Amino acid sequence: MKIPNNVCEEKTFSQIYNDYGETIWNFLYFKCGDSAQADDLVQDAFIKLWQNCKKVTREKAKSFLYTVSNNMFLNQVAHHKVVLQYAQLQPQKVDTQSPQYLLEEKQYHQRLQNAIANLTEPQRTAFLLNRIEGKKYAEIAEILEISVKAVEKRMSHALASLRKEIEEI
Amino acid sequence: MEKMDKEHLLHKYLNGTATPEEIITLEADPTYSSYIKIANTAESFETPMFREEDNFNAIASKLVDPSKVRPIRSLKVIYRVAAAVVILFVGYLFISDSETTISTQIAEKKEFMLPDASQVHLNSQSQISFDGNKWNQKRSLKLEGEAFFKVHKGKLFSVKTSQGFVQVLGTRFNVFSRDSLFSIKCYEGLVSVSYSDTTVQVPAGTMIEIRNQNRIEKSKIATASPNWIANESTFQNVSLSLVLEELKRQYPINLISQNIVDKNFTGSFTHKDLNVALRSICDPLQLEFTIQGEDVRLYAKKNN
Repeated sequence: MKIPNNVCEEKTFSQIYNDYGETIWNFLYFKCGDSAQADDLVQDAFIKLWQNCKKVTREKAKSFLYTVSNNMFLNQVAHHKVVLQYAQLQPQKVDTQSPQYLLEEKQYHQRLQNAIANLTEPQRTAFLLNRIEGKKYAEIAEILEISVKAVEKRMSHALASLRKEIEEI
Repeated sequence: MEKMDKEHLLHKYLNGTATPEEIITLEADPTYSSYIKIANTAESFETPMFREEDNFNAIASKLVDPSKVRPIRSLKVIYRVAAAVVILFVGYLFISDSETTISTQIAEKKEFMLPDASQVHLNSQSQISFDGNKWNQKRSLKLEGEAFFKVHKGKLFSVKTSQGFVQVLGTRFNVFSRDSLFSIKCYEGLVSVSYSDTTVQVPAGTMIEIRNQNRIEKSKIATASPNWIANESTFQNVSLSLVLEELKRQYPINLISQNIVDKNFTGSFTHKDLNVALRSICDPLQLEFTIQGEDVRLYAKKNN
């Protein structure tokens, strides 16, 4: 007997969760900047996947999750201006900088975080998918269902406004 | 031009495909070097920890086995479809099958117009129903009891009764259909009457009586419209029991007849005065009556 190529099998489903759970959660976190909200949305997204498991093949599951997450985020009318709270920075590899340098570095990080929080949601999502998730433009275009050209535009605009905000302060 | 090139290089850099030479070109431009710094710094940022297990448990607790959830969902769909069908059907009834029913009680008469301005007089204890919205396509109505029609010329006009149906194009005619008696009087034009498997033509000034689906009589009529419209019931050689039935329709009375031989009656009675009406019926037939409230007692006249 052929195993149906959908995600209704519990094993398949948890495999998909292991593969994409964090990615989708990060994606939602880039959008809303709120862990609790990202938790809710990622749960809803996987529940939607389960409810539609017969219609979704294994290969389609990832894009299904992105699409659903995207739509659910848009449906959340009441998302106020987000304040991203990034976790501790990665420990510096080199430990021998002067205190002055470290302080400046810290201030710079702080300003960048604020600036990222002030980006528009589409710019921030594209920018962080690229920078934190290491996604190529083509992947971002696929996830957001836009053209690569549009991704380039968002990246350019994001960088321009980040720079403006950091250097003018 | 140069800016376009650098923008292109920047995207190559962000995509991880820029060569070391290209990176050096970018770094030489203060704007692009600060872009690179921003990009590199942002790269070192991290999102908070994804609470993988907690979220999975939360999802698992909300999941239902799809093999169990399916029937319920499809049942829900069935309910939705059923509800939609009911709504549509009710709407359909309201919109397209808006049947109008007009009825009269004992001692009540009604006069009204049909949608094509044909006139209807409805005698006591009778009922007419028709579909007003489809009237223009099909002039057809159902009748129980007795009614007089003045039909506007036009398409076929049919009156359906439990005993048969009457079809005309445009005339004045009276239809009586009660119990086993089916009687049609044509005052103008030509009426076609169908009962059981027979169809007869009733020309103006003629009436036919069909009793128990058997045609029994075809006779002339003298009046231009039925007398009941003028609040009088007229009979020609009609069994007394039928006359009394009509009397009971015109007056809210409880009729008690004692030892009365069923005779035939020719004459008429008014619908306006019970005393006068009873006298018109009783006198020719040598009967007496007493009225006590709603009770009317009929008995044979004692021979003096």
